[in-house]
Amino acid sequence: MSLQVEDALVDATTEKRRSPTRTRLWGVLLAPPAIWMIVFFISSIAIVVMLSFGHVNDVGKAVFGFSLDNYKALADPVYLKVLLRSAMFAIATTVISLVLGYPVAYTIALHGGKYKNALVAFLVIPFFASYLIRMYAWSTLLADEGLVNQLLRDTGLTEGIRFLNTPGAVVAGLVYGSIVFMVLPIYASLERMDTALIEAGKDLYHSPLQTFFAVTVPATRAGMLGGVLLVFLPALGDFVSAQLLGGPSTYMIGNLIQQQFFEGHDQPLGSALTVVLMLALLVFMVFYLRATQRVNRET
Amino acid sequence: MATDAMTQARRGRSVEGKPKFAVAFTALFMFILYVPIVVVVLFSFNSKKSLSVFGGFSTRWYQQFFHDEALLSSLRASLLIAFVAMLASIVLGTMLALALERVSSRPARITGTVALIPLVTPEIVTGVAALLFFAGLGMKLSLVTVILAEITFSISYVAVIVRGRLSSMSDEVEEAARDLGCTPFQALRLVTIPTILPALIAAGLLIFALVFDDFVLAFFTTGVDPQPLSVRIYSEIRMTISPAINAVGTCMLLVSVLLISLSLIVPRLLGRKDSSLDLISGG
Repeated sequence: MSLQVEDALVDATTEKRRSPTRTRLWGVLLAPPAIWMIVFFISSIAIVVMLSFGHVNDVGKAVFGFSLDNYKALADPVYLKVLLRSAMFAIATTVISLVLGYPVAYTIALHGGKYKNALVAFLVIPFFASYLIRMYAWSTLLADEGLVNQLLRDTGLTEGIRFLNTPGAVVAGLVYGSIVFMVLPIYASLERMDTALIEAGKDLYHSPLQTFFAVTVPATRAGMLGGVLLVFLPALGDFVSAQLLGGPSTYMIGNLIQQQFFEGHDQPLGSALTVVLMLALLVFMVFYLRATQRVNRET
Repeated sequence: MATDAMTQARRGRSVEGKPKFAVAFTALFMFILYVPIVVVVLFSFNSKKSLSVFGGFSTRWYQQFFHDEALLSSLRASLLIAFVAMLASIVLGTMLALALERVSSRPARITGTVALIPLVTPEIVTGVAALLFFAGLGMKLSLVTVILAEITFSISYVAVIVRGRLSSMSDEVEEAARDLGCTPFQALRLVTIPTILPALIAAGLLIFALVFDDFVLAFFTTGVDPQPLSVRIYSEIRMTISPAINAVGTCMLLVSVLLISLSLIVPRLLGRKDSSLDLISGG
């Protein structure tokens, strides 16, 4: 009730003259996309949640139900191991992207000069190449008979290194897949930053490195948080990197979900896995929103 | 004194000198970014059936691609999906953006938040949800189901991009048109839409590229025949590794690079600053 009053007050003060016809037009504009999202997005997510409590009946058909059996099945060490691995891979991907991406954003933003825009474009273009093709590209490069091993053998130093099917290859693929989403928000926050701060920091602290950690890094926290979100979310749900660069020993939750829907034919279990993934992301989002609020309050 | 500080501040961006390490690191970073892509393109022209030894220049894998009826029908399917999804999501996404930007009612705000969810939802979740939704309705998986799923995903993108453009546009122009006797719809058609047109074109090209390349959603919602190009390639990759896949991949790269370059250039040609680059980097 009080919220509605607040709404009305805000409306009255901000919108000076809003005629009824105008409001009707915006309502007409809002309805089709809103209905579309409800029908195709909200309701389909609801079906996933509902089916996760269901089971597969005697003729192999997925039916709704009210049991927690699927979730109990997920408590099995086999699944827990995969869930843990997914979290580790996603965290590793995020940390590596941050450590590698920050210097790049920094260099372009503060030392790009007149080439700044060109450098950003140069950085962004590869990420519009199909994700699948990019993962395929790495898999051919890193294969036992691939180009990298061929070059290594040519140097005569080694008989070749096994890259594929290792956790390192999967995480590298994930980093390569979305590091741009780390660089861009950091770049944007560095751009917005008042460089006089760095000057002041230099007077205050001894070394450029100290200045960097005491001044620049805190001033770009919002950008880093944005990057962490944009890299972590897709990494946690990915299955292509683990499929093409890894194998069963490096499977992530995405691979399990994909298996349940295409090989295992246990859609309710796959739904439960999907719900677990969504819950994990929800928890992450809550922490993220809290952190951004804190950053906003401080700056 | 004050001017001193100001010049100092303005010079600030270069005043500390270029740290050589950072520049070298960035150069190496960019190099590694392009290595896999360049290698894919290079080996698509390999005369040998190898992905590590280059035997000489040849277009045999492209000829193979252009004579493979199944792959060509996949290519046509992908183009169709991207085109329809682009048109539909531009219309629906723009409607959503307009409504969200101009209305502050509760339903509008809730819709605004809901419309952001697909952007932070991993594609596999959206894919599973779409698959179960279509199965629940008893719909046979086909290009239609792929298109419906891609539209849902794209509406959010378009809405965010167009909203960004709208929020930087003062609604006084609209008000002026209204004062001159335009109906709300006329004001929209004659003033607002032309103003945001460059952003719409940039968003459309971006969506076309994203949908054309998309694999995960297509993988979960496609029927058997014809499959989108990305799904076809995925099943081929799992069976065999051959420069033929590189040739198809190179064609896909060409399509996306072309579209993205256009989305960067077209708004500038139309005399507006807002290219998709600004949309992406939020600048």
